Amino acid sequence: MVNVVNLLFQFLDSFAFIVLAAIGLAIIFGMMGVINLAHGEFIMVGAYGTTLAYNAGAPLLLSIPVGVLATTVMGLVLERSVVRRLYDRPLDSMVATFALGLALTQLTRIVFGNSLSSIGIPLGSVQYGQFSYSMYRVLLSSVALAVLAAAYVVFTRTEFGIRARATIQDADTASAMGVETDRMYTVTFGIGSALAGLTGALYAPTMSIVPGMGSSFLVEAFVAVVTGGASVLLGTTLAGGGLGLVNALFSNVYGTFIGQIALLFVAVLILRFLPNGLSGAVEGVRERMERENT
Amino acid sequence: MSERSRRAFLATGTALATVGLAGCSGGGGGGGGSAGESGDEPITIGVLEDRSGNFALVGDPKHKATLLAIEEINEAGGINGRQIEVFDPDPQSDNQRYKELTERAIQQEDVDVLWAGYSSATRETIRPTIDREDQLYFYTTQYEGGVCDHNVFAVGPTARQQLGAVLPYLVDEYGTDIYTIAADYNFGQLSADWVKVLASENGANVLDEEFIPLSETDFGSVINRIQEADPDFVMSMLVGANHTAFYEQKASAGLEVPIGTSTAMAQGYEHRRLDAPAMSNIFAGVNYMEEIPTTRNTDDGGFVDRYFEMWPDAPYLNEEAQTNYFSVYMYKQAVEQAGTTDQEEVKAALESGITYGAPEAPEGEEIALDGATHHVDHHMWVMRCDDQHNVEAVENRVIPEQFLSGTVGCDLTQEDEETQYTPQDYYEEAG
Amino acid sequence: MTSPYERLFGRFEGPNTIGNTRVFWAGLTVALALAAAYPLVVSAYTAGNTALFMLYGLLAMSLSLVWGYAGVLSFGQVVFFGFAGYTFGIVSINLGSTLGVTMAIPVAVLVATVVAFLLGYFMFYGDVSGVFVAIITLVVTLVMQTFMAQTAGDEWTIGEVPLGGFNGMPGIPNLAVGTEGAAVSFSGASFYWLVLTILVVSYLGLRLLVNGRFGYAMVAVREDEDRVEMLGYDIRRVKLVVFTLGGGLAGLSGVLYASWGNYIDPSVYSLAFATLPVVWVTVGGRESLLGGVLATVAIEWFRQQLAITGSAWATVVVGTLLLIVVLALPEGIVPFVHRKTVGFVEGRRMVGEDTPAADREGTAE
Repeated sequence: MVNVVNLLFQFLDSFAFIVLAAIGLAIIFGMMGVINLAHGEFIMVGAYGTTLAYNAGAPLLLSIPVGVLATTVMGLVLERSVVRRLYDRPLDSMVATFALGLALTQLTRIVFGNSLSSIGIPLGSVQYGQFSYSMYRVLLSSVALAVLAAAYVVFTRTEFGIRARATIQDADTASAMGVETDRMYTVTFGIGSALAGLTGALYAPTMSIVPGMGSSFLVEAFVAVVTGGASVLLGTTLAGGGLGLVNALFSNVYGTFIGQIALLFVAVLILRFLPNGLSGAVEGVRERMERENT
Repeated sequence: MSERSRRAFLATGTALATVGLAGCSGGGGGGGGSAGESGDEPITIGVLEDRSGNFALVGDPKHKATLLAIEEINEAGGINGRQIEVFDPDPQSDNQRYKELTERAIQQEDVDVLWAGYSSATRETIRPTIDREDQLYFYTTQYEGGVCDHNVFAVGPTARQQLGAVLPYLVDEYGTDIYTIAADYNFGQLSADWVKVLASENGANVLDEEFIPLSETDFGSVINRIQEADPDFVMSMLVGANHTAFYEQKASAGLEVPIGTSTAMAQGYEHRRLDAPAMSNIFAGVNYMEEIPTTRNTDDGGFVDRYFEMWPDAPYLNEEAQTNYFSVYMYKQAVEQAGTTDQEEVKAALESGITYGAPEAPEGEEIALDGATHHVDHHMWVMRCDDQHNVEAVENRVIPEQFLSGTVGCDLTQEDEETQYTPQDYYEEAG
Repeated sequence: MTSPYERLFGRFEGPNTIGNTRVFWAGLTVALALAAAYPLVVSAYTAGNTALFMLYGLLAMSLSLVWGYAGVLSFGQVVFFGFAGYTFGIVSINLGSTLGVTMAIPVAVLVATVVAFLLGYFMFYGDVSGVFVAIITLVVTLVMQTFMAQTAGDEWTIGEVPLGGFNGMPGIPNLAVGTEGAAVSFSGASFYWLVLTILVVSYLGLRLLVNGRFGYAMVAVREDEDRVEMLGYDIRRVKLVVFTLGGGLAGLSGVLYASWGNYIDPSVYSLAFATLPVVWVTVGGRESLLGGVLATVAIEWFRQQLAITGSAWATVVVGTLLLIVVLALPEGIVPFVHRKTVGFVEGRRMVGEDTPAADREGTAE
């Protein structure tokens, strides 16, 4: 017996988790071709920044930006020092970011110990009949939508977005036309890092704060990026919606175990029948529209 | 060099010699012969506990408590006048690494006895090596139970002991309808089977059970299903950092049903790490946690004081740490009784029925190692967490190991087995 | 014109491999003799431990082939490795006899090869290429880990063997060849020699392959797909063949692994383990078959030594050193050393004949 309200909340919860887990990874990958294997550690840094600020006495609303800022700064530093040397070697950048991830996890353990005391989940619950749901988890879906919308505006409606996408499509030509391609890469990497940090910051209250916590986002993040396909924002949205629905529906009816299996199974089906991802199917249409816009 | 300097650090003020040197000269029976055996050659103890990786949170206290016991023994003159030295690499929560290091500990470092591993997966990874080499091995985590192995002393409490402490209490207090949630792997599945066994023994019934993947962090649907079933209490055998999210999320969703557990609080000290009231009204069935009120544990100069004196920065003293601690002392007794570190003779001494005044037991009481099963009749506690995350003992009593001794008839003093029995065998025996 | 040397080594040599001189072959022979004698002078533990690193080397070699030579970065080598390991366990435990163990070996390698073929077919004939291949194979790996960790229940039993979920599959027998009464079982030093032999045979076989017609096609695909297509090659087919072959090699490595520890568990599909072959090959030099193997043994030995110290800084050190190598030696250590030393001499001798491999730019895709 499916309770519709339960299903709706579970869907929103799942949608938010997939979108937020993937968005930072997707932007860095989709815009720059760099697969950031330290993505989980970026999320972890966001969560640690937030939790440390909160434990030091800052209110949660102030602690979240602290986590985002910490991750952004780290992302920018790493871009300037490591990632930029590897732009012509995207596969080596995977190895480099993996190495960074290894070191970051253990450094965090050395500095902050095996765990931090966590922030409780704010905002209480929605009650309906015999059921209830965590208000905060439901609200995260609105945040996920807002993040997608903001990223869409930034990358399609601003001067920066146009230059950034020109850089991605053809760096040489863009450079010849006066775009500072170096800066475009740096800023894009910064945005991706900030969003990964935001994910960590937002989920910090709902999770156990340990150095390896980032790894619990990785499966959803990579699955969403792959099934989403080359077009980042559309792909992430479609993947979050589609996979979120599958996960929520099967979790609701058959339990979390079948929910996870169903999500992975659908992902494999998409890879098989739509090798260019969900967004690949509508990519042609979208590209034409983009060309008209730019 | 770093190996030597680390050991040198450990040796500071504790009279631990360095293994690196002794290992070359053949600490085992080989060159030294009987002269080394009874003389002043040190005893080598292998301690493989995780200090990095996913199990570091729960594994690190085990490592620290083992070193505490060794330091105390060395300061008091060692075992039969022989000092103890340790081989303690970091297996980094990696089972492959455990396998390699176990081979090394036995073949290269010639350890006289081995403590190793947190999870059942790790135990099962290294058990083929342990049995091939007939290595004396202490497994100290609370676990699903049923290991009947000539070489393995599984001295932590079993699921039947832990759940057997807390489940009857909750049936008395809250009613007979139980909902089980458990981690989806061998430990969780077997624990859930024990919940069913204990429920029927106590006139309760399990409404439903759900097995949750270890990678799951989203418990929305789980919470809804519990609300739909509306049990009198929940039995939770969730495991690991991901699953800790359940307690925060159920508090946030306003789920207030009492929860019994064999896994929360005592190992990963969730009541210290999570924001109150996430752990409110959670009852842990355990043989030990830092808060249990025995004189040996919390009095001045007790176990807790000594631990934090040696490790002032340690966050918590957990259930498994105490098991490591008292089992080192049990080993000491056995060697003294046997008059040798010869592993078969020490095993025989351990099987003769060792008792020890562990911190878990109240003053005047000792816990007993059962020679037939290689398990311990533990003093078990039901610990309740309140909405301020204070923990208090609500019940305590001795619960012997029953499954191996009573049901399947494992007697390692008579017959050398190397198996693990499961609740399936319980049903078959019970008919 | 053909000297005995050329008749013997000619087909193993060419611009696609490093080491095409008499000095190289002489050095290799001496090194092999030393390697073969190694178990005679060290303990059984050390021999067994080194054999583990060497069987990882075979896994690295499988990646050198698909990534270094055909330009396909696969994070999925551990998938084939794991499939073969699990299959070997399932078949050998179920059959339970020495003959069963013998039969389990080809079955396991075949399963790994078929899985690689299917995955490769879906990717390459679905026109997936470049960095997307890396990320899809990575996802398949993570999917396998999540899936296998959940196979703890009784329903996941094949024959008499439970898959075991997170706890893994214990009781996998040692490698053996033969039937009851007339069998050779491999453990300790004999296992070491077996792995060494397989490594050498695989190495020589791959040298034959990459210096033959097909090898040129592979390298051409790596260098410029469009041009190869215009010349009438079917790129998809070339990639699929290489990928499948690489899967089989990884599978063989997986069989050795499962029998080494008598055990396999889902951590072979973890991100950390999936990345290791990429790390080994990157450090050793992806365009050198031998480089990956040497780097594997060196890195794994080093990581183990760090673990033995028990230092908290172990993984920090590993991560930092890896980062330095990637940034400072983009082509990998072995090609770098080769270029700085032997390659100089060899390059001068070969001027006018062929372009030495090491002179080419190391390209990632």
